[in-house]
Amino acid sequence: MKTLESTAPFHTEIGGVLVSARGLQKSFHGRTIMRNVDFDMHAGDITVIIGKSGSGKSTMLRALAGLTEPDEGTIDFDGVRVFEDQQRTEAWADKSFHVGMVFQTYTLWPHMNVLDNLTLAPRKRLGMSGSEARDRAESALAEVGMKQHILSRCTQLSGGERQRVAIARALMMKPRLLLCDEITSALDPPVAAEVLEVLRRLKAEEGIAIALVTHDMAFASKAADRLVFFQDGEIAVNTTPELAFTRSDNEELNKFIDAVRF
Amino acid sequence: MNYEFDWTIVADAFPLMLEGLVVTLELTVVTIAISMVLAVPVAVARMSEIELVRWGAQAYIEVFRCTPMLVQLFWIFYALPALTGLTISGFTSAIIALSANLTAFMAEAYRSGFQAVPVEQVEAGKMLRLTRLQQLRYIIVPQAIRQQTPVILSLNISIFKDSALVSTIAVADLMFVANTISSETYRSLEVFTLAAVIYFAVAFPVSLATSNLERRMQQNSARGATGSQSFLSRMIPGRRVATA
Repeated sequence: MKTLESTAPFHTEIGGVLVSARGLQKSFHGRTIMRNVDFDMHAGDITVIIGKSGSGKSTMLRALAGLTEPDEGTIDFDGVRVFEDQQRTEAWADKSFHVGMVFQTYTLWPHMNVLDNLTLAPRKRLGMSGSEARDRAESALAEVGMKQHILSRCTQLSGGERQRVAIARALMMKPRLLLCDEITSALDPPVAAEVLEVLRRLKAEEGIAIALVTHDMAFASKAADRLVFFQDGEIAVNTTPELAFTRSDNEELNKFIDAVRF
Repeated sequence: MNYEFDWTIVADAFPLMLEGLVVTLELTVVTIAISMVLAVPVAVARMSEIELVRWGAQAYIEVFRCTPMLVQLFWIFYALPALTGLTISGFTSAIIALSANLTAFMAEAYRSGFQAVPVEQVEAGKMLRLTRLQQLRYIIVPQAIRQQTPVILSLNISIFKDSALVSTIAVADLMFVANTISSETYRSLEVFTLAAVIYFAVAFPVSLATSNLERRMQQNSARGATGSQSFLSRMIPGRRVATA
């Protein structure tokens, strides 16, 4: 069993290149979803990824998470090659512990309460004792403002509360990169804003790099370090939010931004 | 109708029939215990990405789903010793045949339950670096069994009733005793009516509990658990009861 002490060390300093993907391609049933995607992400950055449905955003996120294997391309993480020749390298087994993900649908396990949801992986994969795991869970829940719900059943929580608990659960494994796939799309705007505020604080206080697929341009303009626009499976624009919002050269991006904000 | 009922036979037969019921219950409980465990790897094999494993599991399930249980019983009791040279008692043959049969049906119920667990929940486990076995043990199986509990209980009721077939291989279960008494007393109507009442008396409460459980599960999923915890939710293995 992997223990805390044997988790692979992490080398990338804040501001250094954390993720470097080159030439990622993925097709499903003959349809190309992702083509020639080159993507870099720096440690401690918030990168907002936008684009129409089916443009390849989630596929890239899933490729970085290890849930989808690209057909071509390479992925480096923390200075180490973790994907090439259509498969994960041996280094991925350790490095994957530094990557967490929060999904669009509430993926809390309904047959467990909040505490069990958070402590299962640290106990079973990191070898933490029950009390150590509970302490870490209380800390993670405090980060997301959900400490008072530690013994609640997940089905008793609202959508926003479940999403915050899902973030806390991902934080239990101390990820250096948190991937968030449209985590606020099913939430009311005020609730979505609360959840996104949690991410902003995580970046500021913990230095966690966050890659977030969202349509929330207000969050992107306030908190994002980079804005990536996917178009037809490719990254058409990779820039700062300031440049993106002040009329970029890409007409599709301009139309997209105009459509998703008032 | 010229038949003259003699219900005193029932009073005399009842203690013997109860002894037969004990054997029936032993058979049923052992069969259910074995099948509920063996069905898990069969269900997992049925979903395997390795074709040979998947086809093997599928073949096993189809053989036991598509042949009469009586034929399966006879095959285990008569044909297996001829193949292996082993002497197998009627009771052991019954356990093997009933377990093999129930495992096939139970595996399909489990598989249906496994596939009903949202894939995102399993992916969440994968992202938390739980191994495949841990995903099965902590995420998939508990939810699948909960989801499929009414089906599993129905299968268990069925195997309790179908166990009457073991009387054909001289296992002294309730049906065998009833048959013997009937042959000796020539009071088939009274004896088999008593046997039916005993089977019903055991199976009906379980059937009632199953219907009640299904209704509670539907109510709970509709209510979103804003009310008190359901009986079933408190029975989920490994679930800790929240303290005040």
